[in-house]
Amino acid sequence: MTPSFPIEFCVLFLGVVLLLADAFFPDMDKRKLAHIALVWLGGFLVATFFLRPALLWASPAGFYLADPLGIFFKQFALVATMLTLVLAIEYAPVVERAIPGSKPGAGLGEFFILPVFTCAGLMWMASAADFIMIFCALELVTISFYIQVAYLRKCPASLEAGTKFLILGALSTGFLVYGITWIYGLSGQTGLSAIAGAFAGIPAIPQSSQTALLFGLGLVLVALGFKVAAAPFQFWVPDVYHGAPTPVTAFLSVGSKAAGFVVLMRVLGPFLTVPEIETRVITVLQVLAGITLIYGNLAAMPQTNLKRLLGYSSIAHAGYLLMGVASVGSPLAGRAIVFYLVGYLLMTFLAFLILIPVAKAAGGDDIAHFNGLGRRSPGLALAMLLAMLSLAGLPFTVGFLGKFFIFEAAMQEQQYFLVAIGVVTVACGFYYYLKVVRAMYWQPVPVDAAPVEFSPLGRFAAAFLAALILIVGIFPKPILDILP
Amino acid sequence: MPTLAHYLYVSGALFSIGLLGVLLRRNILIIFMGLELMLNAANLSLVAFSRFHPGLDGLPGYNAQVLVFFIITVAAAEVAVGLAIIVALFRAKQTVHVEDLDTLKF
Repeated sequence: MTPSFPIEFCVLFLGVVLLLADAFFPDMDKRKLAHIALVWLGGFLVATFFLRPALLWASPAGFYLADPLGIFFKQFALVATMLTLVLAIEYAPVVERAIPGSKPGAGLGEFFILPVFTCAGLMWMASAADFIMIFCALELVTISFYIQVAYLRKCPASLEAGTKFLILGALSTGFLVYGITWIYGLSGQTGLSAIAGAFAGIPAIPQSSQTALLFGLGLVLVALGFKVAAAPFQFWVPDVYHGAPTPVTAFLSVGSKAAGFVVLMRVLGPFLTVPEIETRVITVLQVLAGITLIYGNLAAMPQTNLKRLLGYSSIAHAGYLLMGVASVGSPLAGRAIVFYLVGYLLMTFLAFLILIPVAKAAGGDDIAHFNGLGRRSPGLALAMLLAMLSLAGLPFTVGFLGKFFIFEAAMQEQQYFLVAIGVVTVACGFYYYLKVVRAMYWQPVPVDAAPVEFSPLGRFAAAFLAALILIVGIFPKPILDILP
Repeated sequence: MPTLAHYLYVSGALFSIGLLGVLLRRNILIIFMGLELMLNAANLSLVAFSRFHPGLDGLPGYNAQVLVFFIITVAAAEVAVGLAIIVALFRAKQTVHVEDLDTLKF
């Protein structure tokens, strides 16, 4: 039974120690750093299970909130970071080739260490209950992602992705702080519970203040829309996902989106207590969810590059999650969103984990590079098949149940139109996810196909993720019980 | 005597100039200047709100002023990382114009 606030500092301290180790032992094999980080993050993950919300260092007016949701997302961030490190170890040869240094492995250390700092930011975001805290944690995550996206500094695609991410990310930061300014100006508070208290203190908000408040909240929503990749703020996603190193793409699509949704749910909390504002916010969320669903799924159809395809698929998944946020009045919505994010973590990381060795062997990450994988390495193809079917939402996988719970919550809130859009776009999803399956099982093996090499650690992680997709898809009860 | 509204007009003007700079300019360095201007617009209005809306004890709201310091610090960190990326981009492509960023298209 320990208080929760030291956990983030431990993660941060781990990152600093690893940076020092990287600097002071230049001849060390840098993969060791990743293994050390994996072991320690695993230890912190175990430690989080001994945190009890009731005994936590948190006050209702404080800036740090360690409720069950916050603790769950700390565990989520730790798991995502560990999987990213497994992917990064798998991806290390590509990084070594892209950053020629004076000795082998130069510049590889930070590639393993930066995700640890991002993890600390994600964990703080999970507990942030004050706009100051939200801003700082969000920037820790975003700035460390700028470096990771542009990490392959000799590779024009990575640099270009980094520059685009930098400009659009900084733009969304500008919107966020200006929005916070207006919310502060009208409530006089930066803490979320204090803002809710300020609204509760006045009987009716005058019309002019309502407009200004909605303006501020709208700017904050734009900024969070950037983070979770919701249309129409999604235009950075395909390019950045395509150009970034593959482990970073996976981390960006899972970590950044999950943290964005936690913050979104927390920020909307105080505003949904005001009836005049609530209806308008819900309408905006419905429109955003509809546009995001349609755009993500339709634009994914003609893609030929798997990373781009997964980028558009990430937009589409943001649409389903936004549908859950728009149904926030239903008691089922919160759990549905969290369950969806868990499923999204499993299937996205599995897809990227299989992509890395296949891309290494075939020399590119187009869907065509998966041709005949079913015969070349049946195990990998089977895992990829599972990931794709789950992303598409086939029954008996976690992806199906995630969508099912979201639709259930939306039906309870009588959002039939949104559910109709959702069902139609799921059908579109089957088309583009099954393109990968078709390439693996129905296309001939290319004549010059190199054998696909996959490390034991990667194999273990892939088998673990694939098993979880099936087990949680068939028996969701244990997971649903531990969800907040 | 300037009132709160005056400060808010100036801050709104700064924000709009920054946003227009980001949208209209084609040089990444100028775009970056626009981004910094947007952050400083927020700083100005935060300080103005904090000064003109004192709390029950008559003191200004210090939360906003603390946030301003964090924004300044974060903006500095963002510039440090951002300029490094732009320098790396210039070394690789010999350009800082957004039209030349066309490697990633489908």
